[in-house]
Amino acid sequence: MTLGRSCALVALCGLVACAGVLGLSRPGQGAFPHRRHVIAGVSCTRCHAAVGDGSPALHLPDDATCTSCHKKPHDPRPCLTCHVAPGALAALAEAKDHLNFDHRRHEDATRGNCMRCHTGIADGDDHLRPVMANCFGCHASDARRDARACSACHKNLAEEGSLPASHLAHDGDWLREHGTRAASSGDVCASCHQASFCASCHGVTVPALPATRRFADPFAASVHRAGFAARHSLEARSAPGACTTCHAPARCIACHTERGIAESVRGSPHPVGWVGITASSNLHGREARRDPASCAGCHGGAGERLCVSCHAVGGVGGNPHPPGWSSSRPLSALPCRLCHPAGTR
Amino acid sequence: MKRAAALTVALAAHAGHADPLRLRADALATTASPAGLLVLDASGEARPGLSAEAVVWLAGGAGLDNGADHGTHGDVLVIAVDARTPGGVAAARLGRFVTALGALRPEHIDGASARVRLPARIDVEGAAGLPVSPDVMPGRTWDWLVAARVSRRFSDWGSLGVAYELRRDDGALVTEEVAVDAGVAIGRSSDVAARVAYDTVNRGLAEVALSASRRIRQVRVELYASHLAASHVLPATSLFSVIGDVAAQRAGTVITWAAAPRLDVIGDAGARRIDRDVAPELVLRTRLKLDDRGASALSAELRRSGVGHEAWTGARGAARIRLPRSLTASAELELVRPDEARGRGALWPWALAALGFAHGDWQSALAVEASASPEYRSRFDALFQLSRRWGAP
Repeated sequence: MTLGRSCALVALCGLVACAGVLGLSRPGQGAFPHRRHVIAGVSCTRCHAAVGDGSPALHLPDDATCTSCHKKPHDPRPCLTCHVAPGALAALAEAKDHLNFDHRRHEDATRGNCMRCHTGIADGDDHLRPVMANCFGCHASDARRDARACSACHKNLAEEGSLPASHLAHDGDWLREHGTRAASSGDVCASCHQASFCASCHGVTVPALPATRRFADPFAASVHRAGFAARHSLEARSAPGACTTCHAPARCIACHTERGIAESVRGSPHPVGWVGITASSNLHGREARRDPASCAGCHGGAGERLCVSCHAVGGVGGNPHPPGWSSSRPLSALPCRLCHPAGTR
Repeated sequence: MKRAAALTVALAAHAGHADPLRLRADALATTASPAGLLVLDASGEARPGLSAEAVVWLAGGAGLDNGADHGTHGDVLVIAVDARTPGGVAAARLGRFVTALGALRPEHIDGASARVRLPARIDVEGAAGLPVSPDVMPGRTWDWLVAARVSRRFSDWGSLGVAYELRRDDGALVTEEVAVDAGVAIGRSSDVAARVAYDTVNRGLAEVALSASRRIRQVRVELYASHLAASHVLPATSLFSVIGDVAAQRAGTVITWAAAPRLDVIGDAGARRIDRDVAPELVLRTRLKLDDRGASALSAELRRSGVGHEAWTGARGAARIRLPRSLTASAELELVRPDEARGRGALWPWALAALGFAHGDWQSALAVEASASPEYRSRFDALFQLSRRWGAP
């Protein structure tokens, strides 16, 4: 046997061994064969008879319904112990608990055709609950939908906790992605999230809320996950300006001073050659162009005088503006007037 | 403001047992600083279309001191009243909140915002108020901002918006931006979103972000690109806003694959660019649920990140296991190796072990955190959190 075949065999054995853990299969458990029943001429309501009575139950057939046709059950356990996909019943129960929905009100519109909504039923039990896009196939011009009145269908979105994967995606790298998506869909976000949700990250008056930090949940999304405190200088320098989108530049020096790692405590953090006479020994110019927010973190406010002392008009530091730079402000405005005294350009 | 928030919370707490008023209290204590934080979060709906919410916090401890002030700190994060017409044609908010209009940067303000839906699917939104200042900022005398956005929705498949913001601090022009946002759904499985912000004070692109995704059965593919110019994000009154012309750029693709009912695999392959430095940005993350609801799960992650001298490689593993008696145990381990140690240590390990308890309206968690970092050769901290909620969740 070649090495390749051996590896393939080992991988296959591993997959079979892990199939239960991965949710691929469980002993005796599999998707319900809806398709086979339909082909055999069994109508949906023959088994799901309670659909039309308006009861709040799940409308699942009981054993008596099954055994009315399957005269010789092969196992004494309830039929749905095995004949349903893992997680399907839990998903149905969640839908029942959190949705305002009545099958009876949809009977006329669908003309009794369950497949009109349960489009994926032939594919297995993963799609027992129709995706929300299916709802909007008919309710596209619903005024409540236009008004983002989610409570028309969802009893309590916050408690439901389900991510609207059918019409928006919170998976992937949602933390990075949400800024782009939310720009044009702010009212959609607001249908689930209150003002405090945005403020818990973008608010400037508190560093982190306990409900947001959730240190006991390793799967909670957060910018400052795990050992961020150790990594933050690397991340900040690799994405200049990113920190400033939430934090004021002065946050850097305030925190570093508190922790005793500011310049006033440990001396200058800059390497040799940071400020020199020749261009080759002037590292600070290049770094300031790349990451001015970092400079502002320590040298902002009154600290700007340090730059002005060399870069003011006529100073030895020369013109610090990048090529092609322009501004709509008059020279008398801040910060122009720091380097451009009246009468200079 | 603080007194008003306290009164709002007190009223909400008084009626906290009555649906739909809700109150949540979170307390966090840590030995890291050491510091303690108490947060009260209240919200309720007086009648359909009229609701209010407030989040206030109180903190104390050495780690939260700012300069000479060694007392406790407290402030309002959110206190807002929302009103909207029954059909959702008009809505307004008054108080302290974060406003985010289209592609403009979110702003924390004390003020008001409103939105009106006009005929022809045109929406007009506006916000005005005083920018909230963090306590590290010096006091200012005359700060204000106004922002507005006009957008048009196109049936069920897209929207286009144009926004404008003007902000002055102490009378000086700090931000003037024009921003455009767009979102388009292409069929049921693909969509594209974009945002562009242009700085009109120091003319130039402040921020651009693009994202396009497509879902094909169990796989979702997203292409993304971003451009962020730090000098245009800084206040225009800062001297540093007039010297930078280098944008941080990033582009790549994220593939999310539901490989098995309980196994998700996420891969992110891209690149970062700053000036002439280009570096790969790679992430591979897997998550395995140990039950159908994912209450117990394992995850592993490998990451390569950073540009130039700031590049690093990291690995992270996490586990959460549901235990009997409403307990949950979790553990995380992260190892980071910077490309250039520069005397900061060659490996920065970080680990956390936590035990959580959730029963009814109570939640609590206790954790021990251990780490070695550029700042500390070794460090051990303990964290404790206690939460209680009243009313509907």
